[in-house]
Amino acid sequence: MRTTDTTGEYVISRVETGEESQAAKQPMDSDAFTGFYQRSSRPLWAYMARVSGDPALADDLMQESYLRFLCASRSDEGEVAHRRYLFQIATNLLRDHWRRPRPTPIDDVPEAVFALSDHSSHTHSQMALGPALLRMRPRDRQLLWLAHAEGYSHREIAEITGLASASVRLLLFRARRKIAKLLRQQGSGDGTRS
Amino acid sequence: MTIRCAQATEISEALKDGRWPQGCDPELRTHVDACRSCRDLVLVTQIFQEARNKSGPTERFDSPGLLWWRAQLRRRNAAVERVSKPITVAQRFAVLVNLLVVAGFVASQFGSSNWLPKWAGLSRSRAFHLETFRSLAAVNLDWSLVLVIPTLGALALLSGVVLYLASDRH
Repeated sequence: MRTTDTTGEYVISRVETGEESQAAKQPMDSDAFTGFYQRSSRPLWAYMARVSGDPALADDLMQESYLRFLCASRSDEGEVAHRRYLFQIATNLLRDHWRRPRPTPIDDVPEAVFALSDHSSHTHSQMALGPALLRMRPRDRQLLWLAHAEGYSHREIAEITGLASASVRLLLFRARRKIAKLLRQQGSGDGTRS
Repeated sequence: MTIRCAQATEISEALKDGRWPQGCDPELRTHVDACRSCRDLVLVTQIFQEARNKSGPTERFDSPGLLWWRAQLRRRNAAVERVSKPITVAQRFAVLVNLLVVAGFVASQFGSSNWLPKWAGLSRSRAFHLETFRSLAAVNLDWSLVLVIPTLGALALLSGVVLYLASDRH
């Protein structure tokens, strides 16, 4: 049985054979993981590096995030769900890291660590983002990055961070207003940048 | 306090799709110029998206194959640990029961008369060998006790396994 739906052919064939339907529920295999890793590693690293302010920590936590992701052996729920779950693991790891006693509190991390390796390609606004983020609370950094860099909805952010969706909306509004003010103060914001 | 402007959703979609500002209505651009909330939204989203696109080089990342095999190793170790856990628990339980039996046995012997002097005399003798020990056992150890202790140990081992399996099922 075939349908004219854009995805119908694939869906119907899975329903007809049954075996493919079972295969779709299997955990991710090595090849699928390689593709997923290549698509998700850079955004995940950027999230962790920007939120933690420590690229070395981002390296370590990213490895651990992928290991936990693979060990969880979830069934194939699609790339979007996998990516959201990966960000959820990373968020929990960051939270655990901040809860642990540490010699250098996050607020004392020098601004230099926010600068990434490729300085030449950074615009003035990018150079201002690090110091502005530094003045935000870690939770606000997470919310801002997930909403504005990753484009997650309030509901998805609530799922990733464990906050209530209504709280995400209010916290995000306040965080956005604060960082916009900071960016403008540092001369990076020229209004709408249109 | 207005948390979200009515136009914010449309502006967010335009930013996400890369349609801002050329692909949008002039009215929307005019609105953004006038609305502080939407101006903040555009400014922050553009800077964060740029930061995301210019994030660190991928050369520093591990190969996915290496991560895959490390995850397999971790899963295997976790499985081995899960399988061997009931045995470990049962062994500890058995050792505990055996220690209790030995302690009870020693306590009962302390309660009986002239047991300690025999041990003291034995430790002083030069011939502390098997024959001497057997003679001591012949005095105080009942053969039934020799059978009871290993039996109790085996029962303890089995009960430990049963207890673990019952708790694991819950």
